[in-house]
Amino acid sequence: MSEPDEMQWKKPFEGLRVADFAWVGVGPTVSKYLADQGAEVIRIESSTYPEALRRVPPFVNDQPGLDNSGYYANFNSSKLGMTVNLKHPRGPELVKRLIRECDVVTESFTPGTMARFGLDYASLSEGRDDLVMISMPLYGQTGRWSSYMGYGHVLQAAAGYNHLTGWADEPPIGTGIAYTDFLVPHFAAIALIAALDHRRRTGQGQFIDFGQMEAAVHGLGTAILDWTANGHEQTRMGNRDPEAAPHGCYRCKDGRYIVLACFTEKQWDGFKAALGRPDWCDLERMRRRWQRLNEQKEIDRHIQAWIEDVTLDPAHPEPDDPDDSPDTPKVERLTTEQLMMHFQKFGVPCGIVNSPEAMRSDPQIAHRQHYWMLEHPTMGLRSYDGPAFRLSGTPSELTKAAPLLGGDNEYVYRELVGLSEEEFVELLADGAFE
Amino acid sequence: MANEASVPLPHVQGPLSGYRVLDLADEKGQLCARLLGELGADVIKVEAREGDPTRHNGPFFRGDEGPDTSIYWWAMNAGKRSVTCELRLEPGRELFRELVLKSDILIETARPGHMASLGLGYESLAALNPGLIMLSITNFGQSGPYRDLEATDIVASALGGHMYLNGDMEKGPVRTTAPQAYAQVNAQAGVGAMIALYARGVNDGRGQYVDVSMQEAMANAMDNTQQTWDIRGINPIRPGIRRNNAGQYGARYLFEASDGWLTALQVGGLIGPGADRIIDWLAESGEARGLDSPAWRAKLTSLQPLSDSDRDYVEETLNAFCKTRKKDDLVREAQARAAGWAPVLSPHEIVENGHLADREFWIRVQHEDLGESFIYPGAPFRLEATPWQQRGRAPHVGEHNHDVYGGLLGKDDAELRRLRARMVI
Repeated sequence: MSEPDEMQWKKPFEGLRVADFAWVGVGPTVSKYLADQGAEVIRIESSTYPEALRRVPPFVNDQPGLDNSGYYANFNSSKLGMTVNLKHPRGPELVKRLIRECDVVTESFTPGTMARFGLDYASLSEGRDDLVMISMPLYGQTGRWSSYMGYGHVLQAAAGYNHLTGWADEPPIGTGIAYTDFLVPHFAAIALIAALDHRRRTGQGQFIDFGQMEAAVHGLGTAILDWTANGHEQTRMGNRDPEAAPHGCYRCKDGRYIVLACFTEKQWDGFKAALGRPDWCDLERMRRRWQRLNEQKEIDRHIQAWIEDVTLDPAHPEPDDPDDSPDTPKVERLTTEQLMMHFQKFGVPCGIVNSPEAMRSDPQIAHRQHYWMLEHPTMGLRSYDGPAFRLSGTPSELTKAAPLLGGDNEYVYRELVGLSEEEFVELLADGAFE
Repeated sequence: MANEASVPLPHVQGPLSGYRVLDLADEKGQLCARLLGELGADVIKVEAREGDPTRHNGPFFRGDEGPDTSIYWWAMNAGKRSVTCELRLEPGRELFRELVLKSDILIETARPGHMASLGLGYESLAALNPGLIMLSITNFGQSGPYRDLEATDIVASALGGHMYLNGDMEKGPVRTTAPQAYAQVNAQAGVGAMIALYARGVNDGRGQYVDVSMQEAMANAMDNTQQTWDIRGINPIRPGIRRNNAGQYGARYLFEASDGWLTALQVGGLIGPGADRIIDWLAESGEARGLDSPAWRAKLTSLQPLSDSDRDYVEETLNAFCKTRKKDDLVREAQARAAGWAPVLSPHEIVENGHLADREFWIRVQHEDLGESFIYPGAPFRLEATPWQQRGRAPHVGEHNHDVYGGLLGKDDAELRRLRARMVI
């Protein structure tokens, strides 16, 4: 499957050029998919109004700097960087000339922003019908919230993720991150590539109105239909699941957490065997899944106690019990990793809650080479996320680290916009590229 | 069957109209296939004779468990065709190969090696149909030390690192109750499928194999915490109602209104460059508790961290202000003052949300078999020339056997009877 093909493959998006105005998390993730598959993606930024993420940590050596943010870098592998000041009298014209050389425009500003600079789809597609443009603000191009501001951290609230994350009867804490920024770009990329495929076959471009909230609603599983068809409002239930028992997250001796789930009777049988069939497992009220769903408090207590008992903390080994006679068999204690494999051996879905640090040494993540190490001119060798998929013929390839702010201005303005050297220097001196 | 051909609704305008997708997937791939269908592809759900196991995933319509009442099944398989095909029997596999010949994309989620053990691995199928794109979506990918391990949504959320970020320091990590590892891997696999489809168009019609890992899909939902580890060697905290700020508690972002909760970001909230706008609002209402003094204003608009007691005072002030007002009113006024607040909405509040109503987002889907119709989520993206379209309700088991095996594969009634008698379909 993964052995090299005898055939030469062309990178799918080779020859496509993307004018990428999108910023923060969503848009850059979408254009990164294209960039890592051969498209020439040009991040269009401004040094007067820098992209928000360039100002957000982590910074190398804790030194804030527009070319020093790991947050920005991770979203922008394989891209070029240019800067333009759209408020300079010639800014919009320069950008329009660039877009004439582009196949795709991506942006995520508040609706109306692009139009203010004459960069809306109607203006940009004048005289050509092959331009594909996707606009990706939080709430779409129309509707009463279309001008609303925000980031993924608040959109997760409006899109239902806060309501569905947290402990029952406690605040809707949501995920600890700007969650929708890491969900909706995949939907946008599907739409954009579908439009590109249509264009490849017919020559016809189009505009895509992408409202992040609407895509996010599709990630809510059954919550919407359960309301509209059943009138049942789903809500957060900690680590429980309406369908499985046991289903939870438990603390091990070393302070790490482990999760496990039993959806089927087979998994429950495996679970019982993994625990050595303690009496409580064989109580009549534990027999069937629908019965166990009512006993989760007790089940969780048993599991937590058992895990406390059997796991060990290598950093603080427990002293031998002085009351033990030499004949008492030593209890075999397990590391957290061994506990996970112990449950897995019995067919129980089980996993450690990996920290970012642990992700770097997770054997499977290492085997998959999920993280790409890329050398950046000011940040040095840094890790970037790769995609969750491996294509046998045209694997995604992170060809270079994130661009410097305006790092490719000369190429873009001279080669693509077509400025002469004199014009380039003149406009540079006049602040048009800031 | 009387209801035959009532679904799926035709969608000739879709950008993927003309492509065909075979869906052998479980929770890890059914949404992905559905999205391709809503872009115009003909999606055929291939089920075992007794029906797909996920037909027994709850919740159920009016609580009645049955193969056609699973809300999960409805949500993830709406608008697909369904055929039965017994892959455990050689004639079934033969029939399946005929379907593969007529298809562009195959989505499967079996354990690594299982398809090959049936003689339906990528090499064999690509030998029949070199244009085939085969998506294998699994817990951990096709190879590696975890290849054969068991996983469900919570396990992939944990091993994928995402779950570490959520929850609080006292009670530990928490999973989002609506399964996100499944949502993520479906959406990301969809991108892989689309790239492969486009690649086929520029590579003489050659398909490829796409190996997707649910663990990695979750690894891509860790915000900047992986880079924070890489660059600074700091793991995050689980921040509860606050934000994580490189392992420290950042600003509180959740506040309680009189009728629920809302989010007020640090940027656009009471701390940070935009603080003046909120301070003015509090002052106009007479509820600033002194925060409108020049000294406080200077403190709040600077980017210097506040002392714990200052922060508590500021947050108490904002919380008291919110407690006496409705969340929608607060959000409307905050947005008018250019602060990016949003309400915490529940599923039913989302369905009743005025903005989505303005956008005419919701779609009513006919379940003529029940004599009812229900509201479904509408377009996740709006392509102006080749629009997204909901394709109708989810199919019954084998509802399109006649359609597909007769119409698409050209089998006559006698042959279909034979296949039925041999328990192939």
